[in-house]
Amino acid sequence: MKHLKLFLAVVGLTLAFGAGAQSQDAMRLNEYLVVNTDDFQDDFGQQNAWFELFNSSYGTVDIGGCYLSDDANNLKKYAIPGGDLMTKVKPRQHVLFWADNQPYRGTFHVSFDLANAKEIILTKGDGKTIIDRIPVRHDLGDNISFGRAMDGEGSITGDGAGWQVMERTSPSTNNTLIDKAAKPDKMKAMDPYGWILALTAMSVVFLALILLYFIFKAIGNANIKAGKKRSAAVAGTDVKASQYGEVPGEVYAAIATAMHLYNEDSGTHDEESFVVTLHHTDRTYSPWSSKIYTLRETPQVSKRRR
Amino acid sequence: MQNILENLKEFWQFTGFANFEFGYLIMIIVGCLFIFLAIKFEWEPMLLVPIGFGILIGNIPLFAGLNVGVYEEGSVLNILYQGVQRGFYPPLIFLGIGAMTDFSALIANPKLLLIGAAAQFGIFGAYAISLALGFDAAQAGAIGIIGGADGPTAIFLSSRLAPNLMGAIAVSAYSYMALVPVIQPPIMRLLTTKKERLIRMKPPRPVSPTEKKLFPIIGFLLTAFIVPSGIPLLGMLFFGNLLKESGVTKRLANTASGPLVDIVTILIGVTVGASTQASQFLRWESVKIFIIGALSFVIATFAGVLFVKFFNLFLKEGNKINPLIGNAGVSAVPDAARVSNNVGLEYDPKNYLLMHAMGPNVAGVIGSAVAAGMLLGFLG
Repeated sequence: MKHLKLFLAVVGLTLAFGAGAQSQDAMRLNEYLVVNTDDFQDDFGQQNAWFELFNSSYGTVDIGGCYLSDDANNLKKYAIPGGDLMTKVKPRQHVLFWADNQPYRGTFHVSFDLANAKEIILTKGDGKTIIDRIPVRHDLGDNISFGRAMDGEGSITGDGAGWQVMERTSPSTNNTLIDKAAKPDKMKAMDPYGWILALTAMSVVFLALILLYFIFKAIGNANIKAGKKRSAAVAGTDVKASQYGEVPGEVYAAIATAMHLYNEDSGTHDEESFVVTLHHTDRTYSPWSSKIYTLRETPQVSKRRR
Repeated sequence: MQNILENLKEFWQFTGFANFEFGYLIMIIVGCLFIFLAIKFEWEPMLLVPIGFGILIGNIPLFAGLNVGVYEEGSVLNILYQGVQRGFYPPLIFLGIGAMTDFSALIANPKLLLIGAAAQFGIFGAYAISLALGFDAAQAGAIGIIGGADGPTAIFLSSRLAPNLMGAIAVSAYSYMALVPVIQPPIMRLLTTKKERLIRMKPPRPVSPTEKKLFPIIGFLLTAFIVPSGIPLLGMLFFGNLLKESGVTKRLANTASGPLVDIVTILIGVTVGASTQASQFLRWESVKIFIIGALSFVIATFAGVLFVKFFNLFLKEGNKINPLIGNAGVSAVPDAARVSNNVGLEYDPKNYLLMHAMGPNVAGVIGSAVAAGMLLGFLG
């Protein structure tokens, strides 16, 4: 059992760290605009080139510490500041960077522009591992952006697969308008018989309840041990853990019944057995409850055993 | 005289008789049947009486513009129906359920949690059948939740995924919950041997107040972190339970488990019933939903009982679980647990399974809320 617990702990920690390590990998370069003359304005009222990142995962990703660059030989050209709440990108959300070469204007203004850039590169916090890259096209014309056809989907190696010239720019929003019914439709197309969803969801239901099982098994064991110690301290003798908690249910039922009769059900034996005592019942008058108006009591179906 | 006649003629057009259609009569008969079953056989009377009468309210023939119907914006019934449509009645009911539920049986024997998980196969079996019968994925998810045997969860999920099917789903879920004593025993007998039915389980150990206080906190944090979309239901369920177990909020617990849950039960019952207007309800889809609902309960019962038999293969003699409590994993608190107890007593008059069955029973509530969160996450 100890080995099993150790194994589960190791698996849990591995998964936890694995999930954490993968989270920044979920970020994608999603869309960019090189020539901005009549498009989105930054918070200084200026129109500059921009590019957008997208969190393709279903968890929040902190991009603080990652790097952005337009030069493969200098991946650390712009370090995204850490400790900024704004760099925590919510699940399936976007974040917009201004390529205006004016980094002193804030977290989201990078230290390069796109006028002569060959590509845009997003690198992890280690400064070496490239998460995503995309060549910059300079033939698009004014106010025409280049982006992923579907948010977050397509190549991350810089070959441009899954990217297209956009019909309209969509800074900080979805590249494709999402149809409300798309999610279920997509699910049905991917899983026409429902088995994938069934297995996924059942795995999660089992996982949640198995974790609860382990936690309360551990708490229960600790409680039994504590009870054993208390019993030993009181009685001065050692009590086996297995003995604790094995009092038959009938004993509890008998004690509970006796206490109930003693404390609550005084009407049953208010004086002594076999003597019936009639109590006067006080009723506070109210026209809402008066029997003069309602004429009879609320009907009560007698309790039957089922 | 002419004016009086014209007025009477005009008045006649306002009456239900003038607007009568055959579908309304069928629904009125259904409503009366619900009331009859509740009063005569005491099948879920707290629900079937309000739903049954709600069906009568919703099926008085009206002409549009009178502004009294449940679907007419701004009408009193419509305002009350918002709690169903926007899904805020079900979490309030879960608050009351939490404040009423004693999780001791589950805490004492936490492996019973797994039975509550296994029984959720009913939800996903129904989901697969719904897809096969041509429902879209969102509708299938909403119909599937009938297998969770949990009325508030069914209403909550269907209001999000398939509002147009909510009446049929809610009525189906509550009807089959009332029919648990009829549906489950034959399946339980079919799947178990006499020897298995006679298994006596160890009495549950005493559970300390600290464990009872920790359960709602840990239970909520764990399940909500795994399935955040289930927070409205899970949060209120565990919050209600903490009110009960904390020992310092007795008044709040009493309100949550008494007047509050009673008020919301009345409102949810009447408005769900009123939403089953003949024009909305009498469709071929409703018939399919009723068939799938029945199958979902059958699948859930099969899964629960078979899972216990499978689980017993790994348990030592003396620790084995009586498979008759497997059915209780479907939720339907506490009727399913009562069914386990009654079937067990048929074979051994001294083998009281009720406390043991309450474990998977309340685990089923948690399991179905988690499953609903999953469906909402994938399909909502």
